[in-house]
Amino acid sequence: MENKARFLLSFAWHDLRASGRQLWVFCACLMLGVTLVTASAAMHGLLSNSLLDDTRALMGGDIEVSANQPLPDDSLEWMAASGQVSLTRELNTMLGTQNGDFLLVELLSTDENYPLYGELVLSETGSLQDLTGFVNGFWGVLIDPVLAERLSIDPGDNVSIGTLMMEVRGLVLQQPDRRLSANWRGAPVLISDAGLEATGLMGPVSRIDYEYKVRTDVAPQSWKNEFYQAFPGSEWEVRSFADRSERIAERLGQIASGLLIVAFSTLFIGGLGVFNSIHTYLQSKLKTMATLKAVGMRQGALIAVYCLQVGLLAGLSGLVGVLAGGLLTGVGAQLVAQEVPLDDSFGPFLMAAVVAWCFGLLTSFTFALPALGKALSVNAAVLFRGDSHGSGQLSFPWRLLTVLLALLLGALILMAVPDLRFGLAFLAVVLFCLAFFEGIVRALKKLAVMLESTAWLQRRVITRLAIANLHRPGAPLRTALLSLGTSLTLLVACTLVVTALLRLINTTVPDESPALVLYDVFPDQLEKVEALVSDYASTERIALSPIVRARVTRINGQSLSEMDFPDSDWEEMARDEHKLSYRSGNIDSVKMVEGSWWPQSAEATSSNDQVYIVMEDREANQMNLKPGDTLRFSGAGHEVEGILSGIYSQKGLQTRFWFEAIMSDGALDSFINRYVGTAYMSDEDALNAQQALAKIAPNVISVRTANIVDSARELLAKASSGLAVIASISLLTSLLVLASVMAAGRRQQIYDASVLYALGTRISVIKAAIRREYSILALITALFSMCLGTTIALLLLEFRLKLESTDLVWLGLVTAIGASSLIFAIGASYLFRHLKVSPSILLRDNEA
Amino acid sequence: MISIDKVGMNYQLDGEQVKVLSDLSLTIEQGESLAIVGPSGSGKTTLLLLLAALESPSVGSIAIKGQDLSALSQDQLADLRRDNMGIIFQSFHLIPSLDALSNVALPMEIAGRNNARSIATAMIKSVGLEHRMKHYPLQLSGGEQQRVAIARALAHSPSLLLADEPTGNLDASTGSRISDLLFDLHREMNTTLVLVTHDEQLAQRCQRVVRMDGGRLVEEHAHHGE
Repeated sequence: MENKARFLLSFAWHDLRASGRQLWVFCACLMLGVTLVTASAAMHGLLSNSLLDDTRALMGGDIEVSANQPLPDDSLEWMAASGQVSLTRELNTMLGTQNGDFLLVELLSTDENYPLYGELVLSETGSLQDLTGFVNGFWGVLIDPVLAERLSIDPGDNVSIGTLMMEVRGLVLQQPDRRLSANWRGAPVLISDAGLEATGLMGPVSRIDYEYKVRTDVAPQSWKNEFYQAFPGSEWEVRSFADRSERIAERLGQIASGLLIVAFSTLFIGGLGVFNSIHTYLQSKLKTMATLKAVGMRQGALIAVYCLQVGLLAGLSGLVGVLAGGLLTGVGAQLVAQEVPLDDSFGPFLMAAVVAWCFGLLTSFTFALPALGKALSVNAAVLFRGDSHGSGQLSFPWRLLTVLLALLLGALILMAVPDLRFGLAFLAVVLFCLAFFEGIVRALKKLAVMLESTAWLQRRVITRLAIANLHRPGAPLRTALLSLGTSLTLLVACTLVVTALLRLINTTVPDESPALVLYDVFPDQLEKVEALVSDYASTERIALSPIVRARVTRINGQSLSEMDFPDSDWEEMARDEHKLSYRSGNIDSVKMVEGSWWPQSAEATSSNDQVYIVMEDREANQMNLKPGDTLRFSGAGHEVEGILSGIYSQKGLQTRFWFEAIMSDGALDSFINRYVGTAYMSDEDALNAQQALAKIAPNVISVRTANIVDSARELLAKASSGLAVIASISLLTSLLVLASVMAAGRRQQIYDASVLYALGTRISVIKAAIRREYSILALITALFSMCLGTTIALLLLEFRLKLESTDLVWLGLVTAIGASSLIFAIGASYLFRHLKVSPSILLRDNEA
Repeated sequence: MISIDKVGMNYQLDGEQVKVLSDLSLTIEQGESLAIVGPSGSGKTTLLLLLAALESPSVGSIAIKGQDLSALSQDQLADLRRDNMGIIFQSFHLIPSLDALSNVALPMEIAGRNNARSIATAMIKSVGLEHRMKHYPLQLSGGEQQRVAIARALAHSPSLLLADEPTGNLDASTGSRISDLLFDLHREMNTTLVLVTHDEQLAQRCQRVVRMDGGRLVEEHAHHGE
């Protein structure tokens, strides 16, 4: 037995080594797919580890209670009885440098219990209290290194915050609850309580967030329930670290699922290359297999030999893929680490590598089995009869095994993709694509057969040859549509999405957006802010609108607290504050989708006047609202009730303020304590206005659209690079699959060409027919991928991102035709180099 | 040794039944040499396939050393070929990825024998290819390839040797040398030899010659042969 096993292994190895070079496409296709799966899974693992393992530290406690006023003493006592409490006060404002640069920052003042979890690491020695104290006439601040770099500030420099100049006393190297990048929430600036009060930014109408973090041994959900029972009707938001974990995990899962699906698509396309490659290889092994049977090798041993070869190749290619995936992960991690500090442990990569390698192995066997089954059923009688050009039919056991492996692969994909919906959608799309393309291929083949017999084609030899090749056995039509069609679809979709976003950032936003957006303008500052901004020559207009935060307390007369919440999301949403405003000339450019605006004359100047409300579609749908419903809002000690007259949608990425409800003029007058605004002017004047505003109204936050556009461009560049890498790998895999199809058909094409040549056809005519055949294939593939890719892109752009992009359809067509033509041109040129017409093969029974 | 009893063979072709062999009965003794001759399409190759247990008759039975082949499973038939038969093909059919020595050792290594290589070495020497043991089939001439094939067919001392046009792809001179080698070894090892050939001279070297036509045995004569 040992001898037999050793012999089988030795034979499999020697046989593979002697003729395995044909299988380079198998190896390359598999390697690329495994590379992407490894990189996607590893990135997900690294991010999850970094963001989810220590959510307590990320959140700053087990429980977080948020309010916009200090909590009353009784609630503070209740919380302190359950554990340790730490208060952080947060306030957005502008920080100015001595060079006159301004940037939005988040001031944080903390107490002596901070941080409850993790460690605060500063660049200077000394405690937080000492470094932010009042020394030599200045209050101290500690800033984020990203902020320091962006504004070229060093410890020792002075910065303006509110009405004061403050001294930068150090950098915050590690802040456990602020591990996400400064870019995302406004750079954190640590300041003492007294220092915050000294800035003059804390007034009765200041927007200060009071974040109470609690460290407790009580189970989070129990704590929340007991808190709500102790303080019913409170407007405070309560979140546990588990809630935070769930949200982060959900977001990460969606992103990872998207990446993994692209990776699995590439693996699937690669699987087609595996099938063609193995099929060609085994066709060349038919005589060997028949000889082995004739000299007495059992079927089981024969199966073992060739399964060993597939396993060996798949294992080695998968290993190379895993290593390449590791390199790709390294590059990706470098980019992501600029936004999120990443876990640098090896564990996530190792896990991802094992999973990806197993997927590679399973995919190889799933696609190789049909070819194996057909080849291994060859009858040894072919050695006597001299006919080894075709192998047998695929028997039922092989079919069953292939189906079972495919089902297993599908099940494992569902387990591997974090978001199950993505996984199910992916499998559904794959099955649909297979069925759809199969239907298209059959229809095209029938059409080709019909066309061949038309009189028009009888006189056109080259075209007739080309069309005949479309439906011959082994024609590349099916594989080209499936593999190249899929990756071209991805390319078209990515091109359209990126172009639309680039257009938005480079043209639409600069053309249509205000140069300056203003937040936190107090009512008594309205006149002077308007006057200052209007004073610039380039100012076209300035619009100011109130912003009020209030909660929905009643719907159609029923109190929210009396309603049965269908799930915890609904409960959280019901406690959320909504941003309300007036129409103010449609400052946020919203579009009505249901119902309508109220009559122009409607103004709630007295309490008896009817109040009209229009609401954002997402909020309205969450609460199952429709025009005609009545809503009551409550905030800052005031209430207002009105009729919902319409539902609107936001402008997507161009939305500035994201108002969740707009009311008829006058309805919010008793609520208003701050304004937001937009100014249409040149960017140069916007910069000057920003500096001037900081002097007369230091509490006003002003954001230049140019800065946002720069950040967005940077982000889009990174995202585009990532997409380009993924699309390139996918396209390369398709090219390899096409190469495998050409290799599989080369023998037959050389034979056909030799027969034609022997009968008197010129080589130039034979090559012209191949060129025409490939042109037709390129056109068919381009058309289908253009239709599919454009549809996917437009659905995403028009409905999800709300960007009108139907005028970009031509770009999809150009991309598809361009890429498809290039790929088939490369394929044709490869074929011509290897097409050696050899009439002698017609006289001898030799391999070509 | 071999008993063929009223064997018939049919194939399905485009929905029609094609009769390849009809009511064929034949007995071959141990150590005997038998030539099967006949025009193309007479059923010679089919008969050889049945003897090699690579196909099964539609009717009738074939027994080798008293064992009815139809009672054996596919694996048992494979074992029978491995241990008791050697086949020599017209086109040699050596494994391209194995050198000459490994090709000769193949049936014995499939059987898991420890001494496969030493026996194969001795066999290769006996066919005069000691100096070509490590060469691959592509590096050998047609005659050399056929000698390797003969060595492979005989190395494991089979009781039955089947040869399908063994000199069909060789020139006259080489073919003659191959024939000499074949019959020398057949005599030495006392195997039963069944030979399909168009070559009448080669056929006459066998102890018996049977002629086939239209799937039937039409003539049989014995002579002294080798």
